[in-house]
Amino acid sequence: MKRTVVPFGPQHPVLPEPLVLDLILEDEKVLDAIPTIGYIHRGLEMMVERVEYTEMGFVVERICGICSFMHGMGYCVSLETIMNIEIPERAAWLRLIWAEISRIQSHLLWLGLGADAFGFENLFMHCWRMREQILDIFEKTTGGRIIHSVNRIGGVKRDMSDTELAAILVQLQDLGKQFKKTANVFGTDPSIAHRLGGVGVLSMEDARAVDCVGPMARASGIATDTRLIGANYYDRIELEPVVETAGDCLARVVVRMREIDQSIDIIRQAIDKMPKGEGMPLETKPRGNPMGEVFTRLEQPRGEVLYYVKANGTKNLERFRARTPTFANIPAMIKLVKGCELADVPNIILTIDPCISCTER
Amino acid sequence: MANPLRLPMVPRALRNLVSKPATRRYPYEIRPRFEGARGTIEFDVDTCNYCMLCMRRCPAAAITVSREDRIWAIEHLTCIGCNVCVEVCAKKSLTMSKESKPVHTHAEVGPHGERPGHEEWHKEETQAAEPAVQAAPAVGGASPV
Repeated sequence: MKRTVVPFGPQHPVLPEPLVLDLILEDEKVLDAIPTIGYIHRGLEMMVERVEYTEMGFVVERICGICSFMHGMGYCVSLETIMNIEIPERAAWLRLIWAEISRIQSHLLWLGLGADAFGFENLFMHCWRMREQILDIFEKTTGGRIIHSVNRIGGVKRDMSDTELAAILVQLQDLGKQFKKTANVFGTDPSIAHRLGGVGVLSMEDARAVDCVGPMARASGIATDTRLIGANYYDRIELEPVVETAGDCLARVVVRMREIDQSIDIIRQAIDKMPKGEGMPLETKPRGNPMGEVFTRLEQPRGEVLYYVKANGTKNLERFRARTPTFANIPAMIKLVKGCELADVPNIILTIDPCISCTER
Repeated sequence: MANPLRLPMVPRALRNLVSKPATRRYPYEIRPRFEGARGTIEFDVDTCNYCMLCMRRCPAAAITVSREDRIWAIEHLTCIGCNVCVEVCAKKSLTMSKESKPVHTHAEVGPHGERPGHEEWHKEETQAAEPAVQAAPAVGGASPV
């Protein structure tokens, strides 16, 4: 049979960001997919050579709008490790709380995009209506909705009062209750089950072979979660990785839905355990210039992110590199797309939660 | 396969019929920004001593300070609102207002030769307090951005 090549992207309704897949089709079946990235490469890593290390945090935050908090946090944690800075306890807890709030935000955004991709526009709006409440929390506490700029090397810039924290927890728990009703739609609607169930199945062995990370790996039954290494105060939190075994598109949706509940629970634990009081120290000022190199791992909403920072004792770092979760999940996406129907390609691509800005930097 | 008669969206849809919309009628109804939100940098020319710290620490190089000419200028379109200049200012001349100023997004030279988003203050040494001169001609000659 004659083969056809269908370019998927860079502009496509399901893709918020440019990614190209050249799909080689035989009839409606995808035989092969050739990915091309590089449409939004901005050379942010190169900027370390001319931006001072204290200011680079603001650049790193702008790698991506959805994971901006955790990018900033990862950079600061790396520099703190190099410079042997112990950050104040309350600052570490605040970072953890913000990181989990940003996870909820990211998952709600993705669930909305996913709903839009499989034709549930109303569901998309409900997910984004809930996400708006999270963005309001961010604007109240950090001063920015998307770019927060609260992370500094040595701590955080803003405090949340104890009453504010309690109010946020109440708001989040209320949001969790609202979300349960929406989650019910994802879980029980027959057309969603028909559209996503059994589509794009990634077995546990395959997921290990292509080194999946984050919710993608957890949906295939691998209990991996970088938060379990216990860095950044996650060792003081009771945490079970959310694991589903089906490995299909629906399982990836379910993992992200359950992670929203898990994040709300983590925030509750953090607010219980953090030291209370006003005017506690939030920052340890860094002294001198960094010298040395470090790898930092964090669990972003999309999976494990890896930062490599090399400093040579001057104001400018020698090398900064971020290996983002989407980059690790692209091989899995190609594997899933091969052999599927053309109509399932958008859903499969979307369920890896692609963040192309992160990947290309 | 789930029961095809289950329609989980129906209760929500019925509630939406009687509930208020989740959105605002935006240009007529604007939600006030929260306390502590980062909007636009505001400058007080009277207290500034031209130490140039804000210029050196600005990650976006949006601030230009000239000690000799007593000029303090900011490009609002370049400013990323990170609040660093406000934190380092020893004289507390800089404040962050919670409102975002509307900025020109078109690259057009105005009737007085101003650049979009460019704001500049000039303090005469003889006069202690000069009112803020806004959108004066740029230092190096006005040029379209």
